[in-house]
Amino acid sequence: MANPSPTFPFPRRAPVRITFGLALGILTLFGLVPAVAVLVVSFTDLRGLPYIPVHWIGFENFIEFFSPAHWSDNLNALVNTLIFAGASTIIQIVFALGIAILLNRKLRGTSIYRSIVFMPTVLGVTVIGLIWSLMFNPSGGPAAEILGWFGKSSAFLGDPNLALALVTGVQIWAIVGVSVIIFLSGLQAIPHELYEVSSIDGASSWSQFRFVTMPMLSPAMTANVLLGVVNALQSYQLTYVLTGPSNRATQVLSLLVYVQGFGGKSGTTLSQSQGYAAAISMVQFVLVGVITFLALWYLRKREVRL
Amino acid sequence: MIDLHTADDRAVRDTSGSYGPVRTGGRVALFFRRSKLGSYTLVAIVTIIFLFPMLYLFNTALKSNAEFAANPVGLVQHPHWENFVNAWQQGNFKDIILNSVLYTIAGASIGTFIALVMGFPVARGYIRGRKLWNALFVLVLFLPNALVTQFQLLLRLNLYDSRLGYILMVGVGVGIGPLLFSGFASSIPRELDEAAASDGVGYWRYLFTFIVPLAKPALATVFILQAVWIWNEIILATVLLADPSKFPVTVGLYAFKGTYSNQWGLLAAATFIVAAPLIVGYVFLQRFLVNGVLGAVKG
Amino acid sequence: MATRQSRPSWTFRRAVAVTAAAGTLFAVGACGSSTAAGDGGSSVGTPSASGSSGSAGDIKGDLHILVSSADASDAAFRAINEAFSAKYPDVKVDFSSVPNDSYPATKSSRLTANNVDIFVVKSLVEVPEYAKGSESDDALLAEGGGLVDLTNEPFMKDYTPSVLQAQAFKGKQYMVPTGLSYSTGVYYNKKIFSDNGIDVPTTWDELVAACDKLEKAGVTPFGIGGKDEWPAGLLMLGSVASLYPTLDDKQQLAKDLWEQKVKLTDEGPQGVLEKVAKIYSYAQKNFAGTGYDQIPAEFAKGDFAMTADGTWNEPTIAAAVGDKFDIGYFPFPGSDNADDNKFLNGKIELQLAVSAGSKNKDAALAWLGFFSDPANYKTFVAKSGFSSAEPNIPATDFLDSIADYTSTYQPAWDQVWTANNKAGSQAVYPFNYPAIAPMGKDDAAGAAAAAETDWSAAF
Repeated sequence: MANPSPTFPFPRRAPVRITFGLALGILTLFGLVPAVAVLVVSFTDLRGLPYIPVHWIGFENFIEFFSPAHWSDNLNALVNTLIFAGASTIIQIVFALGIAILLNRKLRGTSIYRSIVFMPTVLGVTVIGLIWSLMFNPSGGPAAEILGWFGKSSAFLGDPNLALALVTGVQIWAIVGVSVIIFLSGLQAIPHELYEVSSIDGASSWSQFRFVTMPMLSPAMTANVLLGVVNALQSYQLTYVLTGPSNRATQVLSLLVYVQGFGGKSGTTLSQSQGYAAAISMVQFVLVGVITFLALWYLRKREVRL
Repeated sequence: MIDLHTADDRAVRDTSGSYGPVRTGGRVALFFRRSKLGSYTLVAIVTIIFLFPMLYLFNTALKSNAEFAANPVGLVQHPHWENFVNAWQQGNFKDIILNSVLYTIAGASIGTFIALVMGFPVARGYIRGRKLWNALFVLVLFLPNALVTQFQLLLRLNLYDSRLGYILMVGVGVGIGPLLFSGFASSIPRELDEAAASDGVGYWRYLFTFIVPLAKPALATVFILQAVWIWNEIILATVLLADPSKFPVTVGLYAFKGTYSNQWGLLAAATFIVAAPLIVGYVFLQRFLVNGVLGAVKG
Repeated sequence: MATRQSRPSWTFRRAVAVTAAAGTLFAVGACGSSTAAGDGGSSVGTPSASGSSGSAGDIKGDLHILVSSADASDAAFRAINEAFSAKYPDVKVDFSSVPNDSYPATKSSRLTANNVDIFVVKSLVEVPEYAKGSESDDALLAEGGGLVDLTNEPFMKDYTPSVLQAQAFKGKQYMVPTGLSYSTGVYYNKKIFSDNGIDVPTTWDELVAACDKLEKAGVTPFGIGGKDEWPAGLLMLGSVASLYPTLDDKQQLAKDLWEQKVKLTDEGPQGVLEKVAKIYSYAQKNFAGTGYDQIPAEFAKGDFAMTADGTWNEPTIAAAVGDKFDIGYFPFPGSDNADDNKFLNGKIELQLAVSAGSKNKDAALAWLGFFSDPANYKTFVAKSGFSSAEPNIPATDFLDSIADYTSTYQPAWDQVWTANNKAGSQAVYPFNYPAIAPMGKDDAAGAAAAAETDWSAAF
């Protein structure tokens, strides 16, 4: 029997196939099948409730997505998603880099600070959401207090102009820890000699940063950006807890899917349309794919250049 | 490890003999970049940003509703420790925390298992169709939001509103796991496999007694990444579970907020009850966690 | 070489095909099995254990009840459940009350999983000719046979005929009306009014004058729980109630909007938004961040003089205010003509239906019978703050005090309007109150224009 792969040293192939097959089976059944089915469902008018007949309606859901009536809502969700993902990823990486550099200096208790920064990740979305709802309580809380010193007040999460910014801020607070850890490890891997040599050559701190630190951090940067972007484009848990699913100012695509598929706006006669929700999922899928490939392509180019 | 200051200080003293303003930035920037005091100040600011919210939460948890309404920001005057007792009783927190722990450990274990037994053979080429499987690993990163169909699937399988169903659903949220592990596995020398095989070690024994200990950092990272995601998962749980006794922490706490939305004392106490064991557990495990992430990124 | 290349691609294609097939199969299977379940489940109420006279021994098993949450009605339901369990000890009642926002999602998943027996239906109304295609979920559910027909159940006779008539769907009764409540009124702090020499306003000008007077005296006139969005909508309902007082007026408006004879930017509809915007300007600062649940406490503190709220919330507000001052309630006076502002508009509260797929119809019907028994219903009404849907039930003092405003039952705008699924979300109510600053970013004219764009795009 021709053996196309490199030599398999173990006596029997069966164990490999069995565990691989088992894992593949579970992954396929619970992960892939629903994903493919979403594509199929997006061509139907499936509703959320039983007893209602289902029909194949072709591209109608997609046409409706781009139709003038829904376009303003969908565009709003798209823009919110992009702003949220872009701002939170970029800002959190900048902060993470800064904090990592800070913690990289020989200070006492660095590991404690590291743990503190990583802690929000452990707390979980609902806890973080509640804490920050408390902090941003318009009737009285630290944020209201601080604004009060300037003689102003605000509805914070209720203010449509502020809500998205605040939610992005909390998201950054919640996820910066992971990026800090990744950057820290990258920083610690930079050989000391590079700094010594460059400063003997008369390089300033800033030049050192630009020409030694940044290039050496390139893989960590790529990892962080990639993880960050893919995550942020699909992340909605925090938004859900802080401002609810139907708040126009902060509604991201994933929440639109949830609202369309499982909860017509309360107080109206709008119905749930899971076929339409599936169509939105597919559009989001394409969007994430395109953006991720663009990001990957750009980062690869940068890495090659260095 | 080198201290950036010393190198620069040497350079500065050599050229001008004093700590005057230098090529990069003005006096303030100098203060922050040069002196330890500057560093500690920044670190203090960072620490406050991350610790203050927790402390404020605890402070609020001790207030009665009236005290909170009157003086939300100030330090609590009359601690109402019974807020914690009430929250505990009304919120059924023991159950929901245990649920979350169960779902996270079981789900992340399944995910790590999948990453291990799929990532290793693919990295080594022990399974045909390497390109296909690698493509699959990448695809898994961006699966579309399949809420609707995941719900329907569990329904057909009679697993709706069951712990097993939910665990399976979150267990396959492997994300970057297989890809990460596959990458790591290629760095383990092939000779090890051959050596073990020639010693008569079967594949399973090899995988679980040789590779697993060797790959601990990578496996830990995969586990942690997925565990964090499962711990934070709220929407899938809302849709797939109906019985309140099966809710994870995310849904339970959110429902508690829905019911007691304006009683901040009680609500803060409940949040604190949920957060405290996490923090305690974290304090003990943090070295392990952080090193796991660090180690795997290096790999 | 060639064979090695083709094998991976063959495996790939096969894998894709299998997954796609599986995906299609079960998505299609979704429709197949749900209609099958529908055939098996639809039925007319069986003449088994009827109402309150069913023998307690026959009724057993689990009974799952799902309602949308509100402080007072939750407490009332729990009281009923306790009494029911005492009478029917073999039934295990599982009562879930879910916040309004997550109610549709929970209802949908539990119905699909057949895990609920009695639940609240919303907007189960027949849709007028001009709006065919925009039936609500629950209407489609009833049409598809998903609800048990309750028309001939003995306990339905306990209810007031006019209420039953108002909620008939295609000539049949599918739900039990737990009560009535009124949504277009305004609670006011009698002490603040008398301190400032203000009488209850009966026209729009009087209301504006009263608000101006209060502002000059340093009192915030209005309190709105904007964070949850819908409480601001009560102002919209109040405006519509005064500008289109009778049911005919409202129905005509709905028809004209659907047939595009009237635009949302016309004087009438835009007038609704202008009134809402005016009240926003009199409301407490940053009300867009105040939750609905905070309003009773702040009202009790005297933070503002008036708040637009429904009669369902009276028990909570009364409990918060206690003895501090007296509370009154008057219809929102959106019109310049006092006659138009005479009546409160209302709705039929939480309507309970039985799922056709219910595994324990006997217990469900027994529970409904128990609930409808005037002896038990009396307790429910007293605790929930609803007005009675049954005749001859003593009302609370509060409801007596507003009897003049409720002598004729007028359905509120949200009971008459059918939202269009094809229109954009700014045309859902269709008066676009969430877009007006500070809830949104526009003024009244801008909000109306945006709504009109979203609305006309559907045709």
